[in-house]
Amino acid sequence: MTMTDLRQALEVRPRMTIEAREAEPIAVGDAQIVFDVQAFSAYYGAFRALKEITFQIREHQITAIIGPSGCGKSTLLRGFNRMNDLVQSARSEGQVLYHGVDLYAPEVDPVEVRRRIGMVFQKPNPFPKSIYDNVAFGPRVAGFKGDMDERVEQSLRRAALWDEVKDKLATPGTALSGGQQQRLCIARAIAVEPDVILMDEPCSALDPVATLRIEELMHELKQNYTIVIVTHNMQQAARASDVTAFLTMGDDRAGYLVELDTTDKIFTRPEHRLTEDYITGRFG
Amino acid sequence: MDELSAQTGVTVGHGHDRLRPTFEQALADVKDNVLRLGALVERGVERAARALVERDVELADQVRWEDAEVNELQRSINQEITSLIARQGPVARDVRELLALYHAAAELERMGDYATSIAKLAQQLASEPEQPIFRQIPEMEKLCRSQLRAAMRALVDVSEQQARDVCAGDDELDALYKSVYEASIALMESHPDRARQATHMLFAAHHLERLGDRVTNIGEDVVFLVTGQIEDLNP
Repeated sequence: MTMTDLRQALEVRPRMTIEAREAEPIAVGDAQIVFDVQAFSAYYGAFRALKEITFQIREHQITAIIGPSGCGKSTLLRGFNRMNDLVQSARSEGQVLYHGVDLYAPEVDPVEVRRRIGMVFQKPNPFPKSIYDNVAFGPRVAGFKGDMDERVEQSLRRAALWDEVKDKLATPGTALSGGQQQRLCIARAIAVEPDVILMDEPCSALDPVATLRIEELMHELKQNYTIVIVTHNMQQAARASDVTAFLTMGDDRAGYLVELDTTDKIFTRPEHRLTEDYITGRFG
Repeated sequence: MDELSAQTGVTVGHGHDRLRPTFEQALADVKDNVLRLGALVERGVERAARALVERDVELADQVRWEDAEVNELQRSINQEITSLIARQGPVARDVRELLALYHAAAELERMGDYATSIAKLAQQLASEPEQPIFRQIPEMEKLCRSQLRAAMRALVDVSEQQARDVCAGDDELDALYKSVYEASIALMESHPDRARQATHMLFAAHHLERLGDRVTNIGEDVVFLVTGQIEDLNP
């Protein structure tokens, strides 16, 4: 499938041609489904990291994925834009449907997937280039022919960084503070006009003020994007997300989904004892 | 313990570790204080009613003085809970429990005020010519205290069923109050010169009836603590 074909396929959404489901997907709200995850399992060699995850992520929501270390949160997040493909021993089962299209179908181009589904990592990782070039990099690679200055400004504005850097666009991105660098990475992700932004612990290297700025930014960004965030910081999930998914792992150490609900419900009256024990800091 | 747990000393998922013993101890301390508040209020109600029946002005005085202790304890409970919410970021059942305890303490403080009001009525009645106290009033007082004890037990046991039983028991109190109301009117009609005594007794009964309503509010707090749902159990 070429990029154009994928785009065309994505025009016709949702394309729900899925066979009878084994488990009823859990979802919150009635907005457009962006990801429909069906019995998704992920393996690293013989080790099963995720066991049959089934749920949906809807448009313009911030979905937080929480759970103990090693439960597969990041593996699941990376499953949304095929980043696990880059790990040699990794493979998956089940389906991740993105607007009805199976992301893992052989004809789907992972590069196009990653353009539509951007990612921001734990540690800010700007390129060793100017602020301007960091943002312009993606559109250039994608063959963008429009007004690059405008695209750069718009992306920096959306990432709430423009006012701080507009007079020094030629300075290296690496010269910015940690919080600014992370917002630069968000601007870089936005510049290719994605649909979804995946965030893997985006604030764990930031101080509390920079953290709150990113959280406020996420709130603004969700008007235009769908956001999925993995966080170890439970208060961050409680503050910043609309929907929370709690994953834990069984005796085989494979991660599975325990509960997904509105963040309000999860943090005031979760259904499952495991969720309650985890978020209140009690295991048993 | 598996390899990872052995390295980190933290068991995740299937262990039995309590990761927040400090918070849990603080929560237990708050709960103890709320129970202590309940016990103080119960003693106040018992003494106020006894002062009423026995025309014991000194005992009534004691109840009025001791209400300061109730107020002080409630203030300190409020401070502890406010601090725990601000510093420990409780969620789920923990935050519900703290909110339930906060509200229960406020209700208990109001009950203490009713006991004080009954003590004042006891003093006023003692300055009037003697008039036998309506038999329903001591009955109401006993029922109130047994309801209060049951509510505190429901709070300790975190028992939804016990809490619902407490709320259901309020009807009996309402019926007794109605009966005092009728008896007061009857006394005023038959002996207009005893209108003051009748009014004092009616007010005492009214305070006890309101006290019962506050007890059912604590029952509702327990239901909220268990289920997360806010229900009106005393419609």
